[in-house]
Amino acid sequence: MANFDLFYEVVNNPDQYARNWKKETGHPVIGYFCSYAPEEIITAAGALPYRILAGQGNISKADAHLQAYSCSLVRGALEDALTGNLAFLDGTVFPNTCDSIQRLSDIWRMNAGFKFHADVMVPVKLNTESSKAYMYAVLAGFKEKLEAYTGERITKEKLGDAISLYNDIKKNLSMLYSIRRDAPGALKSSDIHTVFKAAMVMDRRRLLEELEKITAELGEVPAAADPGKKRIVLSGNLCSMPDIYKTIEASGGAVVWDDFCTGSRYFEGDIASGGDPLHAIADRYLTRVVCPAKHSGTTNRGDYLVKTVKETRANGVIFLLIKFCDPHSFDYPYLKEMLEKENIPSVLFEIEDQLPSEGQINTRCEAFIEML
Amino acid sequence: MKEIMTEYYIEAKSPKEQTGKKIAWITSGGPVEPLIAMDAIPVYPENYGAMIGASKMGVDLCEKAESMGYASDLCSYARADIASAVINGGPIGGLPEPDMLICCNNICGTVLKWYEVQARYYNVPLFILDTPLCHTEYSPEIKNYVEAQVMEYIKFLEEVCGKKFDYDRMEEVGSLSVRGQELWQAVLDTTMNRPAPMTCFDAFFHLALIVTLRGTQTVVDYYEMLLAEMNQRVKDGISMVPDEKYRLLWDNLPIWYKTRWMSDKFAEHGACLVADTYTSGWCSALKYMNTDDFLGSLAEGYTRIFLNCGTDQMAENIMALAEKYSADGLVIHSNRSCKPYSLGQYDIQKIVQKKMNIPTLIIEADMVDERNFSESQIETRIDAFIEMLK
Amino acid sequence: MITVGVDVGSISAKAALIKDNSIIASRVILTGYNAKNAGEQVFEGVLADAGVQSSEVDAIIATGYGRNSVTFADKAITEITCHAAGAHFLSPGVRSIIDIGGQDSKAIVVDETGRVLDFAMNDKCAAGTGRFLEVMARALEVDLDAFGNMSLEADKAASISSLCTVFAESEVISLISKGERRRNIIAGIHESIASRVVAMGNRIGLTEPVMMTGGVAKNIGVVRALEKKINTSISVSENAQITGAIGAGLIARDRARNN
Repeated sequence: MANFDLFYEVVNNPDQYARNWKKETGHPVIGYFCSYAPEEIITAAGALPYRILAGQGNISKADAHLQAYSCSLVRGALEDALTGNLAFLDGTVFPNTCDSIQRLSDIWRMNAGFKFHADVMVPVKLNTESSKAYMYAVLAGFKEKLEAYTGERITKEKLGDAISLYNDIKKNLSMLYSIRRDAPGALKSSDIHTVFKAAMVMDRRRLLEELEKITAELGEVPAAADPGKKRIVLSGNLCSMPDIYKTIEASGGAVVWDDFCTGSRYFEGDIASGGDPLHAIADRYLTRVVCPAKHSGTTNRGDYLVKTVKETRANGVIFLLIKFCDPHSFDYPYLKEMLEKENIPSVLFEIEDQLPSEGQINTRCEAFIEML
Repeated sequence: MKEIMTEYYIEAKSPKEQTGKKIAWITSGGPVEPLIAMDAIPVYPENYGAMIGASKMGVDLCEKAESMGYASDLCSYARADIASAVINGGPIGGLPEPDMLICCNNICGTVLKWYEVQARYYNVPLFILDTPLCHTEYSPEIKNYVEAQVMEYIKFLEEVCGKKFDYDRMEEVGSLSVRGQELWQAVLDTTMNRPAPMTCFDAFFHLALIVTLRGTQTVVDYYEMLLAEMNQRVKDGISMVPDEKYRLLWDNLPIWYKTRWMSDKFAEHGACLVADTYTSGWCSALKYMNTDDFLGSLAEGYTRIFLNCGTDQMAENIMALAEKYSADGLVIHSNRSCKPYSLGQYDIQKIVQKKMNIPTLIIEADMVDERNFSESQIETRIDAFIEMLK
Repeated sequence: MITVGVDVGSISAKAALIKDNSIIASRVILTGYNAKNAGEQVFEGVLADAGVQSSEVDAIIATGYGRNSVTFADKAITEITCHAAGAHFLSPGVRSIIDIGGQDSKAIVVDETGRVLDFAMNDKCAAGTGRFLEVMARALEVDLDAFGNMSLEADKAASISSLCTVFAESEVISLISKGERRRNIIAGIHESIASRVVAMGNRIGLTEPVMMTGGVAKNIGVVRALEKKINTSISVSENAQITGAIGAGLIARDRARNN
C-alpha cells in the first residue's frame, strides 16, 4: 500500500515545514499565488516556492482592508499575512491573475511588511505574437529581480535543471491521476489532493523522491475499476483547496479527473528541454489550458472540459466555484451549456469562506449522484 | 445632450445598409479614436448600463442574467448587458448588434469575461487590448507590449472594416480627442471656484459625450458651450448647491438609479460634491498624450489611467483632487460591482485620513443593481457624516 | 407490501406509511433537539395510526436533514429525490417542484417518470425560506398563519427590494413608519420570497406543470406570488408537508419489490 504519511505531515503543518527548511538550507522561502507564478525560476534561484492558500481561521484583521465581497482566498491570505502566520516568508510573488489578486497585491505591499515583493504581470492574452514576446520579457524581468534579491545569478544550467525537475515531478503527478482514472478504487482522492497540496510547498527535489516512491509502489497494483461508483469530473477553482473529496466519495462518487490549476492543469504539458530555458518556460505557460482569467480563444476551457469528460468516461461534472470569483462565475453558464449539448449532467456547488456545513454539501452530492 | 445622444443611438440602430458603417462595441476605457478614424460607430455597453441604471431597469435585467446562470455577485453592468442582449432590454430596446468587439482591460478584468460572453453570443471578432496594471511603474516591458498591440489593433480594424487605415484622419481624430479632453478638464475645473457652478452629479450627466464620442467635433462643440455656461455661472456667483457649506469629493462610479436622490440629500445639507475620481478619469491621461503623435502615445495614455495603477497611486490621486478642489471630506462609494475600484478603498481612506485629516463617509451600494441599496441605512450614514463635518 | 418513509427535517419530522399503492397513514411531529429520537417517535407514531406492527414493515427509507440518524432505516436518500418521487405520485404529470421549507428552499425538475433531471438549492440564505416569513411576521406583529389571506386583500404589493432578510426587515419597518397598510406589505414580502425562489428555479429551467411542496405551501399568498412570477398555475397537494416522506415510502416500496 502506498504510504502518504509524509505528505499529510507536510500539509498539516506547512508553515513549520517551511521554517525547518529555511533553517536547514539557509535559503529564502518565497510565497506565491496562482499557478502562473514561475516556480521554475524560483526553484532555480535556490529558493522554496510556497503556494499561499487561505488560512482556516476567522477573518478579523483583513476586514479592515478588504470588503466582504472579495473571495475567501484573498481575505484568508491577507488575514494570515497580517496576523503573522506567514512571517516565515521572505517575500511574495503576485502573478497577474484577477482583479482581486491585483488589489490584494497592492494592499499586501502596503501593509504586510515582507522584504521581497514581485508583481509578475503575465499577459492576459496568450495566443498572439505580442503576448508571447511579452511573456518572455516578464519572466526575464522576474529572473533579474530575483537575482538582485538573492544576490546569485540564475544561470541557464540552473534553469535547465529546474525544468527537468519539474518535468519529472509532473510526470509522477500525472501518473497518480491516470491510475485513479483507470482504477478509482486504487487511490483515495483525498490522498491525491494531499500530495498536490504538499507538492506546492515542499522542497521540490525531496518531493520528486517521495513521489517516485509512491508511483513505484502503485505500479504494482492491478487495475480494477470500482464497480457501481459514478465517475465524476470536477471543474472550477479550488484556490484555497478545501478537501471536498471525502464528501464526494462518501456520497458514492469517484472523482476521475478535474480541470483545476491545483490539479490536472498543474501537471499538464511538459516544458521543452533544450533550447533557451526561459523561452521553454514561457511556452508552457502560454500553451497550457487556460484558467478563466486568461484568454486563448473563446471556448478553450469548454472544449477541454468536454474532451476530458469523454476521455475519462465520466458520468457527470460537479462545478465547484468559490463565491466572489468573477472569472469562474462568468464561464459557468457556457460550460454548462456545452455539457448539456453533449447530454452530460452537471451540478453547481458554490463554496464560501470555509466549506459549508457537511450536511449541505453531502445533500447536494448525494442528490446529484442519485440523479445520474 | 439628450438630443446628441438620441441622434447617436438612432444612427447606431439604423440598418447597416443605410449607414454603411460597422458597429463596434467598446469598453469605456478603450481606445475609441481609431474607430472614429475608421468611420465605425462606437457603442458602449457600459454607457447603456448607466442608462439602464438610471431608468431603474437594472434589477429585472440582473435577475434575468441570474436565471441564465450568472452569479448575482458579478458586475451589474455585465449582468444587465448580457441579459439585455438576449431580450433586447433596457430603455432603447437593446443595443445594435456588433460587427466587432473591442475590449481594453485597463479598467478591470471583468470586461474580458463579459466580452468573451458576447463574442460567443454574437459570433463576431474580438480584439483585446491587454494593458497590464502598473502597480508601481510603467515598465519598458509593458510599454513595448501595449505599443505592439496598438499595431495589432490597427491591423484588426483593417481586416474587419475591409479598408486601409487612414493615418491622416487618425491625426485629425487624435487632435479632436485631445481638445475634447482638455475642454472636459476645463469644465471640471470650474468647480474649483467657491461656490461651485456644478456638482459631480452634473458631471455624471455631461460625461456621456467624452466617453462615447471622444475624437469628434460634436464633443468639442458641446464642451465649449458647457464651459462657457459654467464660466458665466462662476462670473455671476451662481452656486449649484443653494447654500454651499461643505465641499466633498466622490470616489467610484455613480449610483445610477439614485443620482437625483443623492444630489438632493446632500444639497439639503448644503453639501456640494465638487469633484469625483470617476469623471476626471476621462482627462487624466492628458499628460501622456502627444498631439503630434497620438497613435504613438496611445499606449501610454490608455495604460496609465488612474484605475490601472497601484492603490497607493490612487490614494495620491484622491489627495491631489481633494487639494485642488478644496474638499472638506470624502464620500467613498464601495461599489459591489467594481472590485478594482473598490478593493483598496479602506487603505485609501486611512491614508487620506492620516495625511489630510479629512473625514470619510463610506456608502455601500451598487451602481446598477438596486437590490444592494438600503435607503434608510444610507440616509442615516449621510446624516451622521454631515454631523461630523459641522 | 408495507413500507414507511421517514423525513426528519430540521424543524419537523414526518412519516408516511404506504401499503401497495396507497398512503394509509401519516404523522408529523416537531423534531426538537434529538433527530434520532424524533425519527423513532414519528415512525412508531405512524405505525400506531395505521395499526401496523413494525415486523410487518417490508422496507424503510429515511430522508431529510437528519436522515443519517435514522439508523433503523434500510437506506438514506436525499429529500430531493424523495420530494420528486412524492410529487410524481401525487401528481403524475408534474415536471417541476418548488419546495420552500422552514430553513431552505429547493427547485427540482423531473421527467415523466418522476426521476430528477436537475435541482437547485438555497440553504445558506434566509431570504427565500420560511424563516424570512417568520422574521417579517414578528416585525409586522401579525400571526404568520394570517399572512396568506391578508395578502390576497392587498390593493398593491409594496416594493421590497433587498436581497438580504435583515435589510428587508428594515425596509418593512420603514414602510410601517410611512403608514403603508399591512396587507400591502405582506403582499410585497410574498413577492420578494417568490422572486428569490423563482430566480433559483430559473437557473435550472422550470417547466410546467409545477407543484409546490413544503410547509410554506400552506400560505396561499406565496403560492399566488409564485404563480404570478412564473406565469403559470401551481398545484398544491393537501399532502404538501409530507411529500418527502411519501416519496421515501414509495422508494422503499420499489426497493423491496426489486429485492
